[in-house]
Amino acid sequence: MWGMKMSVENMTFTEQFDLLGCIQCGRCTAGCPVTVRTNLNPRRIVNDCYNEELLDELSRLPEVWDCSACHTCAVRCPKGLKPVEVLFGLRNLLVESGKVEPTVRDALESTFLEGNPWGKARATRYDWMEGLDVKIADPEQEVENLFFVCCTIAYDPRVQMVAQNMVKLLNKYEVDYAFLGEEESCCASEILALGEKELFEEAAEGNVELFNEFKTKRIVTLSPHCLTAFKKYEGLNAEVIHYTQLLAELVEDGTIDLSTELNEKIVYHDPCFLGKQNDIFDEPRAILKSVPGVEFQEFNRSRERSLCCEGGGGKMWAETESKAERLAETRIKNAKELDATVVAVACPFCVLTLDDAVKALGHEEEMRVAEIMELLGELL
Amino acid sequence: MKTFVCIKQVPDTSEAEVKVDSSGKAVDASRFSFDINDADNYAVEAAVQIKEAHEGTVTVVSMGPQSSDVMIRMAMAKGGDDAMRIEDSRINAVDPLSVAKVLAASIKDKEFDLVLTGCMASDDGHMSVGVAMAEELGVPHVSMVKDIEVLGDGKIKASRELEGGLMEVVEVTLPAVITIQTGINEPRYAPIRGIRQAQKKELSVLSLDDLGVPADQVDESASQIILNKLYVPEVVSAAEFIEGEPEEKAEKLASILIKGGHV
Repeated sequence: MWGMKMSVENMTFTEQFDLLGCIQCGRCTAGCPVTVRTNLNPRRIVNDCYNEELLDELSRLPEVWDCSACHTCAVRCPKGLKPVEVLFGLRNLLVESGKVEPTVRDALESTFLEGNPWGKARATRYDWMEGLDVKIADPEQEVENLFFVCCTIAYDPRVQMVAQNMVKLLNKYEVDYAFLGEEESCCASEILALGEKELFEEAAEGNVELFNEFKTKRIVTLSPHCLTAFKKYEGLNAEVIHYTQLLAELVEDGTIDLSTELNEKIVYHDPCFLGKQNDIFDEPRAILKSVPGVEFQEFNRSRERSLCCEGGGGKMWAETESKAERLAETRIKNAKELDATVVAVACPFCVLTLDDAVKALGHEEEMRVAEIMELLGELL
Repeated sequence: MKTFVCIKQVPDTSEAEVKVDSSGKAVDASRFSFDINDADNYAVEAAVQIKEAHEGTVTVVSMGPQSSDVMIRMAMAKGGDDAMRIEDSRINAVDPLSVAKVLAASIKDKEFDLVLTGCMASDDGHMSVGVAMAEELGVPHVSMVKDIEVLGDGKIKASRELEGGLMEVVEVTLPAVITIQTGINEPRYAPIRGIRQAQKKELSVLSLDDLGVPADQVDESASQIILNKLYVPEVVSAAEFIEGEPEEKAEKLASILIKGGHV
């Protein structure tokens, strides 16, 4: 797997990504959701990358930055290859030359210097905790669920409530938990997607060392992007799960009582990093369906076929030039056709991209995008 | 072309509230992030681009604490060959003339063609260090530069950005000090691999004694600028939005101006 610390220094690009395994069937390009609005053609790029002399030229193609790392190509590949990682590899060539877009440069530098890609100070990472009674992890004390917040949830006021509501819920139901202190640092999921493999490896080493200081059975991530990154880490002592897995378990065993009614027509959007990349499809649905009053709906494209919102793959810092309709807008139009009042998600990036789409389409009156924790917060 | 580029580590004050610390003469920096001063970042890129096009060396110079080393290594990863960091608590760092004397002392005995630095530091905003350094080094300077063309006969052509977007083009004989305006280029990213490799390059940490600068020439007693106090101005009034039809707005505005004795 690309991104894991291993000796790739002496491997050719073709060897690193097993390009000769590709049979050019084209399932990657046929399934790639961004091809409808950009020039990205994964099959062609994989084919062209055989020629190592072309790599520099290929790395400068703007469409290399259009990939949102949804992993549809990898899910569909009959040979088990990951065209998405070939694109990360091309991005890596540009990153190593230093000549990346200023927005990408700033995100990478901020992660290196301050442990988050948002240009925020490390010292303000825990401002979201203000006024809350949060249990902070102590290396001497065993804890069942050790939470990892995610940079976007920690800093972005739109999604800070994911962490805040989680604290309120865990406190209310007396769940054994703790959050990391100020040492928490970026998981580097998006850094790897932006092609800065070395920074990802550095972050991975630091995080593994940090997590292993604590006595815990499992690490619970609030973002599926952190979950995906942690699963690439080597040497973690604890299991890593997404919060929807924990909550589904707590709802099932009756620890959490969701008896307050929520009268909404909810359609659930599978985040690519939770569904396609971690096979977590049922738990978010189980949580939402257990709330009385909820009329649960499915998108036509759901589960493995879920349409990407274009928030992953470092796209938060690498804008696509295409003026064609954003996939998030297509998604919101689909939700409108279903007459949904809430588009529920379990990923901070999906909240941000879909929220923008609701505003761009002028549907704010009839519909809202809500993180599952946002909805549960309303029931507390 | 032998280039020295002077850079400074500054706090980013845009993301956290600025508070004055208990001394009343410094800002509480505990909640800030720190990075290279913006204009200095462009100066580093300009220095590296000149080296790439005309060969030569780039030496990074900074006056500041050990925490500046990260920023210095990043500049070296982009193309700096070696670096000097000057740290000495006796220097009155709030006085740009003292800072210029110290920086100039680190360069003056070495062979140099160009000294580049940002036109302004985002924290104290004096816009003086580069120009004062030219005086100390006894060489000409060009300030607020948005374009540099190396002419090849020991001269460069530099474009200065004036008010209203007017560009002034000057020719200057080297050696010279150039203060760089933001926007002259697009600073590159320093990849982690490059930063690791830059760890092997020489970074010397120097004191006033190493530079042969008597402390009484650059300490507070020698300074012509003494920092008295820092304070956050009190907010005493707020903006008022006048609503209504144009006629109503005009009437209300006139009334406010007359009642307030402004007309």
